[in-house]
Amino acid sequence: MKTSHYLGIDVGSVSTNLVVINEKDEIVDKLYLRTSGQPINALRNGMKTLYQRLGKDIKIEGVGTTGSGRQLASVIIGSDIVKNEITTHAIASQKLVPEVRTILEIGGQDSKIIILKNGIIYDFAMNTVCAAGTGSFLDRQAARLEIPIEDFGSFALRSTAPVRIAGRCAVFAESDMIHKQQTGHSIEDIINGLCEALVRNYLNNLAKGKDIEEPIVFQGGVAANVGIVAAFERAIGKKIIIPQYYDVMGAYGAALIAKEEVIKNGKNTNFFGFENTQNDFKAKSIECNGCSNMCEVIEIASNDVVVACWGDRCGKWSAVKRENQSVS
Amino acid sequence: MDVKVGIPRALFYYQYYPLWKTFFEELNTEVVLSDYTTSKTLDEGTKSCVAEACLPVKIFYGHVMNIKDRVDYLFIPRFTSISKKEYVCPKFGGLPDMIRNTIKDLPPLIDTEINLRKSGKNAMKAIMEIGGFLTKDQRKIKNAYKKALESYREFDEKIKQGVLPSDILDRKLNVIRKSSEPELNIAVIGHGYNLYDNYINMDMIDKLRKKGTKIITIDMVEEEVIRKNVSVLPKRIFWNFGSRAIGGSMHFLEREDIDGIIYLMSFGCGVDSFICDLIERRIRRTKDIPFIILTLDEHSGQAGMDTRLDAFIDMIRWRYRNDNNISAHG
Repeated sequence: MKTSHYLGIDVGSVSTNLVVINEKDEIVDKLYLRTSGQPINALRNGMKTLYQRLGKDIKIEGVGTTGSGRQLASVIIGSDIVKNEITTHAIASQKLVPEVRTILEIGGQDSKIIILKNGIIYDFAMNTVCAAGTGSFLDRQAARLEIPIEDFGSFALRSTAPVRIAGRCAVFAESDMIHKQQTGHSIEDIINGLCEALVRNYLNNLAKGKDIEEPIVFQGGVAANVGIVAAFERAIGKKIIIPQYYDVMGAYGAALIAKEEVIKNGKNTNFFGFENTQNDFKAKSIECNGCSNMCEVIEIASNDVVVACWGDRCGKWSAVKRENQSVS
Repeated sequence: MDVKVGIPRALFYYQYYPLWKTFFEELNTEVVLSDYTTSKTLDEGTKSCVAEACLPVKIFYGHVMNIKDRVDYLFIPRFTSISKKEYVCPKFGGLPDMIRNTIKDLPPLIDTEINLRKSGKNAMKAIMEIGGFLTKDQRKIKNAYKKALESYREFDEKIKQGVLPSDILDRKLNVIRKSSEPELNIAVIGHGYNLYDNYINMDMIDKLRKKGTKIITIDMVEEEVIRKNVSVLPKRIFWNFGSRAIGGSMHFLEREDIDGIIYLMSFGCGVDSFICDLIERRIRRTKDIPFIILTLDEHSGQAGMDTRLDAFIDMIRWRYRNDNNISAHG
C-alpha cells in the first residue's frame, strides 16, 4: 500500500525547491533545483525526478506552495494552501530548532529576519526595494570571478588581511571589488571583504533595532556560504545554527502547513497527481489594452486551455481564471 | 464657455480637493481633474521629470501631462507652509518652477504661494490672489472661499468619522471582504498621496481590506489630539507631515483597539526617512505592537508587497490565536 505523504514547493528567484514529508513530519526526499529563469521547467523537472524516485511508494495527500512563484506553482501542481515565505520559513525552523528565537534567511532576491517569541512570529523585516547582498548578487560575483559558487565561502576563510568593500549597494560593491582587485589585493581577501560587507549591510538594515537572541538559525541558499556564516558569527558574537535542511526550509514549511491544512479540514487534496504535471504548461505574457494601465498579464495554459491569469490590476483577467477553474 | 481650471489628481489633491473644487466652481469655472493614476501616468511623469525626484512628484508630472492640453489654467499652488512654524517638503515649494522649466506648452499656471508659517491669516491673501486670476470681483472671491471652507469641513468631518479620503474622492466603496476571521484595525501611516493613490501603493488598502482589516490613518485623528501628543517632544518637528505622523502614531499607541501599525514610505523621501525612524524607535520603546515599514518605488511587480502584507496580517492573527490559547488553558 502507498503511504501518505505531503509535498511542499518553494519557487524562488534562484532556486526551486521540493520537499516530501511523511506523517511524522520527517523529510523523506528533497530537491534543490536552479530556477534558471524558467520556473515552469524547474517545477516539471522536479516533479519528474520525485516521481521516478518515490512515485510508486507514496501517495501525496496535501500540497503547499510558497516563494515568489507560489501562485504559479499552485496552478501547475494543484495546491491545498499557498503561503508567504515568512510564515513557512518560521514554521520549518521551529520544527528543527524548537527554541529558535532569531531566524536569518538570505535567499536569491530576498533577505529576511524573523524574530520569534513564545513560539510565534513576533516581528520580521525584509529587505526593501534593493536586493543588494542576496544570493543572486553573490552568484553574479562568483560568475565574474569564475569561481564556482560552492567554493565562494571557502575562499573567504583563507583570507589573511581585511579588505573593506562597500555593502550598501550591489553596484557600489562590485565597483569597489574591481578597484581593490586592480590595486593588487588577493582574491581571498576581497571575497572575505564582500562577505563582511553583506553581513554589515544586513545587520544595519534588516536587523536595525531588533534584538538578535539565541538560538539563532541561519537558513536559505546563502547559508551554504561558510564565508558569510563566519562573518555573521564575528559580527554578532554568537553561535549560529545551520539546520540540516537549510536550503529547502521554505518548501519544508509549506509541506508542514499543507499537512496541517488537509488534516484540519478533512479535505481531499487538490493535487493534480505526478502524471498531470507533465502536461504541456505554457505561460504567455500579454499586454492588456483595456485602459492606460496596460497591465502585463500572464496567462497560463495547459494543453491550450487557459487555467490561470494574473498581473492585472482590475481583476478582469484573473476573474476568467476562477470560472475556468471551477469548471475543471 | 466656462474657463477650465485643471487640477492634477496627485499630491495635495487628496488633502484639499473638495476645497479647491468648490472654490473654483463658485467662481464660475469648470474644474477638470486629471485621470486616475495608471502606469502611463508614471511613464509620462518619469520621462518629463528630473531623475532625482521622488515617486509622488513623478506621478504629479504624469498628471500634469495628462491635462495640460485640455485646460485654460493649471492650478499648481506653491505650498511653502500649511501650519504655524512648520514647513512642507521643499519639493512642493519648488513645484511650479520645476513644472514650468521642464514641461513645454503649458497653459498659464495659478502658482500662488501658500505660506501659513507665520500666520493663518495669510490664507486669505493667497485666496484673493488665486481668485484674482479668474475675476476682479473681490466679494465674489470671499464668498467662494466661504463656501469652499464649508465643503472642506464636510469632507474633513467624514474623514474624522473614519472614512478614507479616497473613498470620498473616488467613490468606490465596494471592496469585498474575503476573510472570515475577526476584523483587525490597522493604522497606516504615510503621506496622503501614497496612501490614497491605489496605483502608487499597489492597491495596498484594498488588499488589506480583503484580508479583513479596517484602515485607520492619521487624517482621522483630531488635530488637537495630534498637537497635544507631539508637544511632548523635546524639539518641534520641522515638517507639517512629520508632526502629524508622530502625533498620530503616539495617539495610535495609546489606543487599545489598534492591532498593528504599517508605515508606508516612498523610497528617496527625505521627510519619511527621518520621521519613519523616529516613529519606529518610539513604537518599539513604548509598546509591543506589530509594526512594519513598507517602501514604495517604481516597481510594478506586486509580489514583494503581497508577501509582506500577507506575513504581517498572518503574524497578528497568529499572535492572537496564541494569546487566546494561553488564556483558555490558564
